[in-house]
Amino acid sequence: MRRTAAVLAGKATAALSRMTRRGGGTTLPGDVARAIDPDVLRKLAKDLSHGSVVITGTNGKTTTARLISWLLEGAGHRIVTNRAGANLIFGATAAALDSAGADGRLRADWGVFEIDEASLKFAIDEIEPKVVIVLNLFRDQLDRYGELESIAKKIEAALTTMPDGGRALLNADDPRVAEIGLNQPNPPLWFGLDDTSVASRELPHAADARTCPRCGSSLVFEAVYVGHDGLYSCPNGDFARPVPELTATNIELGGFEYLAMDIGGTRFELQLGGLYNAYNVLAAYAAGRTLGLEPAYMAERLREFRSAFGRQERLEFRGRNLNLVLSKNPAGFNETLRTAVDLAHGNSFLIALNDRKADGTDVSWIWDVDFEQLRGKSHVVLPGGTRAHDLAVRLKYAGVDAMKPETDPGKALDVLVKATPEGETAHLLCTYTAMLDLRAELVRRGWAKPYWET
Amino acid sequence: MANHKKRFTVGWLYPDLMNIYGDRGNILTLLKRAEWRDFEARLIELKRGTTRHMDEVDVFFFGGGQDREQALVYEDLIEHKQPPLERAVATGAVVLAVCGGYQLLGHHYTTAEGERFPGIGLIDVTTEAGKRRFIGDVVVDTDIIDLTPATLVGFENHSGRTFLGPGAIPLGKVRMGFGNNGSDGLEGCRQGGVVGTYLHGSLLPKNPHLADHLIRTALRRRGVDDLSRLDDSVELAAHDWILERAQRRQPARARPPQQSHSTPASIAEKRAP
Repeated sequence: MRRTAAVLAGKATAALSRMTRRGGGTTLPGDVARAIDPDVLRKLAKDLSHGSVVITGTNGKTTTARLISWLLEGAGHRIVTNRAGANLIFGATAAALDSAGADGRLRADWGVFEIDEASLKFAIDEIEPKVVIVLNLFRDQLDRYGELESIAKKIEAALTTMPDGGRALLNADDPRVAEIGLNQPNPPLWFGLDDTSVASRELPHAADARTCPRCGSSLVFEAVYVGHDGLYSCPNGDFARPVPELTATNIELGGFEYLAMDIGGTRFELQLGGLYNAYNVLAAYAAGRTLGLEPAYMAERLREFRSAFGRQERLEFRGRNLNLVLSKNPAGFNETLRTAVDLAHGNSFLIALNDRKADGTDVSWIWDVDFEQLRGKSHVVLPGGTRAHDLAVRLKYAGVDAMKPETDPGKALDVLVKATPEGETAHLLCTYTAMLDLRAELVRRGWAKPYWET
Repeated sequence: MANHKKRFTVGWLYPDLMNIYGDRGNILTLLKRAEWRDFEARLIELKRGTTRHMDEVDVFFFGGGQDREQALVYEDLIEHKQPPLERAVATGAVVLAVCGGYQLLGHHYTTAEGERFPGIGLIDVTTEAGKRRFIGDVVVDTDIIDLTPATLVGFENHSGRTFLGPGAIPLGKVRMGFGNNGSDGLEGCRQGGVVGTYLHGSLLPKNPHLADHLIRTALRRRGVDDLSRLDDSVELAAHDWILERAQRRQPARARPPQQSHSTPASIAEKRAP
């Protein structure tokens, strides 16, 4: 049987990849299996006894997938999920292969897959999810994905192919996501934040979707939560934020350690940081409700949630606390900076920028990040990564007194630790492969597990 | 006291819509480098519907946008901005236009379907749509007199192919990358006080010598003859890093061009949706 051969070949590839230490075998097995049987994921997805949840959007996919998996696992379900941010269709295939038995069958209840914006069409076609979540659409890696508009159109077209009984859960606060949802034949379930006390009134420079899709006028924002996500309307009355069915209110933010909010009358408290995570929690709640989980159970379970690899990870190292945060585009970066500076009162930073394919080879986006937030507020700011020199220029023009750029990850760690007093926290804000580099350096020194084990 | 300071004014055309490739870096570089020399630097945002203070601008910046945004600024550009922009350039103001802004300042842009959109014809260039997108680092050898170093570095991401008419001269020759059209080895254009280019990255932060060239040219009409020197070691280290990497990669790129159909498709290419 072709499918069994594909599954076995994929599994063998994964084992080989791990053995040769080429990485976690998080996507290559998918390539191999799909070459043997292009329908392997479609077949494996049909084995899932309950169905699948697919999460897409620029920021928050990994954390939201982890939250949903955590909720479903706690309710006694067996989960298949593409854990390590391998979010192309190959990564989803590899995850399914990993959980399949020697007979080529998948024994699990739910699939929870984070899917790259551009791959959503294939995921909906092959996985036939029960729930698709669209979190947000920010500018990200223009060299690789192209313009935001073409991504938005792809998502819009993909959602029209949802299987019968499937439900789209969309962020009403994101104007471009709202436009996608309003163009769907079946009304989506809208979610959004409803607490202007944690909002600002001004759009950051990196805001994208700020014109009315109908008349082209600039949207008026009453409140801005994250990036261009907020409470907006067209001055001519042609377009406005859809009224969300599910909202988060009474939001409380406590650095990187604490996030609380009311959803549907239930108080949620998590060990997570940043307003952006309020969206992820709300999206996970929306998925949980759609799949029949009880609010009280979800609140209880989420208290114990721990964040995903490198998304917000704390390691202790020579008496210093290292807080590793993936920061890969202006919207996300601005929020991590805001959390680190304003809420966590961070004093020590390593900002690591790489320009490999997975990071995006175009680093011009750093000029859209408000590094001005660090001005006069932090003692140690060390530019790192392959493009440390570009960061040094950015910081200079932001008026931040930065240290000499250090392109070598090992040396950067040494400099950072030396400059950070014992007992204090250093925040490591890194692009994807810059984080892998630092993580590898930490593993080499025995401080953390390799990423495919987390 | 502030009254005694000399003014330097930057006009940003459509900051809310034409800002896709980190264009704020160009604005910040112009403003800061004037401030560091004790000018009173100010920014005027030229959004749709306004022409306020356009006659006071020393350097205009016109960046790239997405197709949707570009379509939104098009009418406003022709209706409102074109006359004051032409007047400003005629009286010695400077314009830096990148990518989409560069194309819109030319005579016209022809789409793949043959549809022709007129630009404002401030520079003698025309652009036509190309199939393949040119994406990657660019190194340009420029022949602007007195520019040290004589290289410009940046990043390009465009499918338009721009060709210069006799009225425009190139910004420089491409050492690495594609430039205007990928065929004649030229990058950007200069015509009077207008500089058009496909380079972002942002362009000016890593090319402080070009930033100063623009500031100096624009301030000449205000009786400012020269600019004081600044410490550019941080900026030039970033510039040199790109040059050095280009040199390391150059041997591979110097080979005769391969036919694309003879190149085996890599897994990465197959993955592209």
